Amino acid sequence: MVTKLKQVLFREFKKSETKHHELNYLFWECTTRCNLNCRHCGSDCSKDSFYKDMPLDDFLKALDTIESPCEHFTVVLTGGEPLLRKDIELCGREIRKRGMRWSMVSNGYLYDNEKHISLLNAGLGALTISVDGLESSHNWLRNNDKSFERVDIAIGLAASSSRLNFDVVTCVNKRNFHELEEIRKYLIQKGVKAWRLFTIVPIGRAKEDDEMFLTDNQFIELMNFISESRTRKDIDVKFSCEGFVGKYESKVRDSNFFCRAGINIGSILIDGSISACPNIDRTFAQGNIYKDNFFSVWQTKYELFRDRSWTKTGKCAECEDYKNCQGNGFHYWHGEKKNVLVCHNERLKKTTNR
Amino acid sequence: MKRDWKRKIIGGLCLTSVAFVFQACYGTPQDFGNDLLIEGQVTSKISGLPIKGIKVSVSESVEYAKTDENGKFSFYTGIFQNVNIKFTDIDSTQNSWFSNKDTLIIIKDSVLQSKQPKVYLNIELEKK
Repeated sequence: MVTKLKQVLFREFKKSETKHHELNYLFWECTTRCNLNCRHCGSDCSKDSFYKDMPLDDFLKALDTIESPCEHFTVVLTGGEPLLRKDIELCGREIRKRGMRWSMVSNGYLYDNEKHISLLNAGLGALTISVDGLESSHNWLRNNDKSFERVDIAIGLAASSSRLNFDVVTCVNKRNFHELEEIRKYLIQKGVKAWRLFTIVPIGRAKEDDEMFLTDNQFIELMNFISESRTRKDIDVKFSCEGFVGKYESKVRDSNFFCRAGINIGSILIDGSISACPNIDRTFAQGNIYKDNFFSVWQTKYELFRDRSWTKTGKCAECEDYKNCQGNGFHYWHGEKKNVLVCHNERLKKTTNR
Repeated sequence: MKRDWKRKIIGGLCLTSVAFVFQACYGTPQDFGNDLLIEGQVTSKISGLPIKGIKVSVSESVEYAKTDENGKFSFYTGIFQNVNIKFTDIDSTQNSWFSNKDTLIIIKDSVLQSKQPKVYLNIELEKK
């Protein structure tokens, strides 16, 4: 009864948030260059980027179109690997000069003590670093023998700062699945306070690699692991906001599933495209900063993000949980967009009912 | 303002205190701004001229900056009511030889509560 009531209220809350679509989280894909060549990449980046880094001035012109940014408005620098930009501190300072905040997603390879200090000096306020397993499995996914050694230094530094809102993310796959408890202990020992777990989206170069994807049974075990870990309170473990997980909703996250792409989350991608999360199919772009006024696009477009009724197709068409899920994470709609790529809820139900 | 109240009431009724705190799938946690911008200029007490190469740091903090050719510095550090800032001549006699200085600043509540707390310091150093 309470659960049903909470769901009804949360749907009302989502409607209200969607109607007002306050922009408070802006990804900037500031580079697509990367110093690693991972077996999986949310942005499909590699060492050889087709694009040049976006000039800071181009981004700032778009940023300056935002009228009265909200209190916690944050620009999230992502890539590629943002630390490959030599002007990363300048980028951060310019964002702060505008009364906005900035954060960064990094693979941690170049995050040494000197960089840690210079980024803090430039007003970095939040940071996410990827750790995809213990040494062997992390290096395997990252395709680099020194990657774990370097990320170990990075997370130690980041965790030592009391002012950085820092978390570690892990893409769970067949290789690291059996290490989750060991990874948890390792992160606690490093002083990490928050850990987010993902599964891998079957797109880009990961698509054909079976080792990237959990079986249905492993997925349910992952839910149980997160749920159980959250009762221990020694590190804030959560499942990412990637999808709706039915009966696990209240057990694996702080809040119910709500894909805020295009509702509170926007992005400026490497070619100037205006969209939402960088892992969303790029055909959903709503405009381009080199042609359009960024904030005007944010205020007046994004119809497909704010009215998701078009996702009631394929397996979502007859789903009894559609009203709470609304087509899963937006990044699960690719290509023809006739069917959701992954339905977490279906996987869980299928496995539970066996 | 009206909409903010409505939002908070509905969010609160969902019995989830974190309805307003979120992070995108591949994004970072949100930054709640636990920092203070310290800016200023360091000059010579005798000549009034700017001093380059002075290290400006905060006690028990890793952040620091060095003054530029105009004696200016700027960096963010953790926010506290009392901040002890150290000025250290680290380039030896390159720009003469100045005494080190410690300055305790007490941050006013109005500054602490502002959207982007900052302080500006004019510091004079004496020659050794």
